[in-house]
This record gives sequence, C-alpha cells and structure tokens, in this order.
Amino acid sequence: MTWPVRRPSFIGMESRRNFFRSCVGAAAGLIANRSERLLAATGLPAGPEDPEPPNEEVARILKELFGQRPIRRGHVDLDMPLVAEDGRVVPVIIESDLPMKADHYVKAVHLIVDHNPDAHLAAFHLTPDLGAVSLSTRIKMKRTTWVRAILETNTGEVWAGYTKVLVTLNGCG
Amino acid sequence: MSGIGEARIKVPDQIKKGDLITVNSIISHPMDTGFFRTAEGAPIPAYFIRRVVVTYADREVARFEWTSGISKNPVVSFTLKTEQEAPLSMVWTDNHGAVYKQSINISFVST
Repeated sequence: MTWPVRRPSFIGMESRRNFFRSCVGAAAGLIANRSERLLAATGLPAGPEDPEPPNEEVARILKELFGQRPIRRGHVDLDMPLVAEDGRVVPVIIESDLPMKADHYVKAVHLIVDHNPDAHLAAFHLTPDLGAVSLSTRIKMKRTTWVRAILETNTGEVWAGYTKVLVTLNGCG
Repeated sequence: MSGIGEARIKVPDQIKKGDLITVNSIISHPMDTGFFRTAEGAPIPAYFIRRVVVTYADREVARFEWTSGISKNPVVSFTLKTEQEAPLSMVWTDNHGAVYKQSINISFVST
C-alpha cells in the first residue's frame, strides 16, 4: 500500500530563497559595520589584519613552533561556523591549495585556539601520500576567540588562516 | 558507538587507481579534559586520545597529535592518494597508553 504523496508546491521557492539570501546579506553587512566600528574604536586599521597573540601562552606556542620565521596569511582555508552554539562540538575544516609533491609539501598543520585551556589543540603531521591538504574534525571551545590554522611546508614556509568564532556555550568546563 | 575504542574507517565504495579519496574515521572515546566534575563533585581525570597514526601500504602517511580539546568520540577525515591496493590502517593511542586499531582494505574497481 502506498500513501498518496502530496507534492510540495515549489511556486514561490525561488523568491523565498532570494529573501533568505538578502537577509543573510543584510546580517553580514551589519556584522561588517560593527567590526569596522570596533576597529575604529580600538585604533586598529580596518581590513583583514592578523590577530595578535592574546597572551604569553599563545606567544610561547608560536615561538616554539615557528621561531623567528614570518607567519604569513594565505594558502589556508579555515572553515568554521561564525557562531558555535555548543562549544563542546565545533566543526573545523582546514584546506590548502599548496601542493603535496614529493619535493614540496605541507608537513604539518597546527590548530591553535587562543583562549582554550590547551591552546595548541592539535597538530596534524602530513606526507605527500595524502595528495592534498583537506582535514576535518570537531573540537571543543571554551569561549569566543580567534582560531589559528598554521601550516608549515617542508621548505620551512609558514602560512596561516584565522577565523573568529563566537561561542555561546562553554565546552571546556 | 558503544564501547571505548570502537572505531570505524570509511572510504568511498568505488575507488580507481590514482583517485584522491576522502577517508572518514570515528572512534568511541570520552575525551575527558580533566576540568569537569561528576554530579557528586569528584573530579573526572583527563582521559583522551593523544595520537593517531595512519598507515597505508606499510608507510606512515599521517600522524595526528591531539589534546583533550578534540570533541568526544573523535572524528577526523583526510584525503589519500590511492596508488596501490593495500590496507589502510589507523592506530589511536590514549593518554592511559591504550591502543586501538582499525584497518580497511583499499581495493580498486575493475574497469
């Protein structure tokens, strides 16, 4: 026996989607405006600036890992939600367009969460056999903070991607 | 997922030689940080996976160093260039020294 299936009406779907899109656009605009105002208030130049290490701990981790090498922004796509509702489970995707060839590859990816008790959350050591840099996992976050994905090539270059995640529920106790 | 250390690895159904595949894995583990207490107030000691080693065709292809900041029942996915038919194995080690293993055979579809 089969139940009669009522097909949902798709009329108006397109306009609904557009409506959502415009909402999202407006929200993004609001956020951008706000962060610009915040930046203006704190005297930092507008635009994508690298977040400073917020404390001794993060500064020490960065120094230990990369020494005096410059940490440049680029080649890293760190994909995380803008707002994490549950700090216990926050998805992370790290991707890079850098090659994974035998003579030039990404040898490590470091995930650093500034305000977590264990800021250096994970290190992923990779080899060219992986063929690409595309990692995903789920992490815990204590509170709203910058997240840094910093990768290191076998030739010693250091590239980073940053994103700020708003955490509403503490996932670290 | 029930027992601690129960692990699964998932790869695509149909793999051709030279494909870049995504490997998904999950292991059952509490990943206790050591910062929480039970309802009775007793501290819950830190208990987490601290290392994952991925081996393909007897070569170590990846090694992950973790802290308790990875979520409970850790999932991790990564890519793999499949050059030969060989086992892909993963070994998880927790901070108590327990070792959990899982492996899967990478085989190619006949064309």
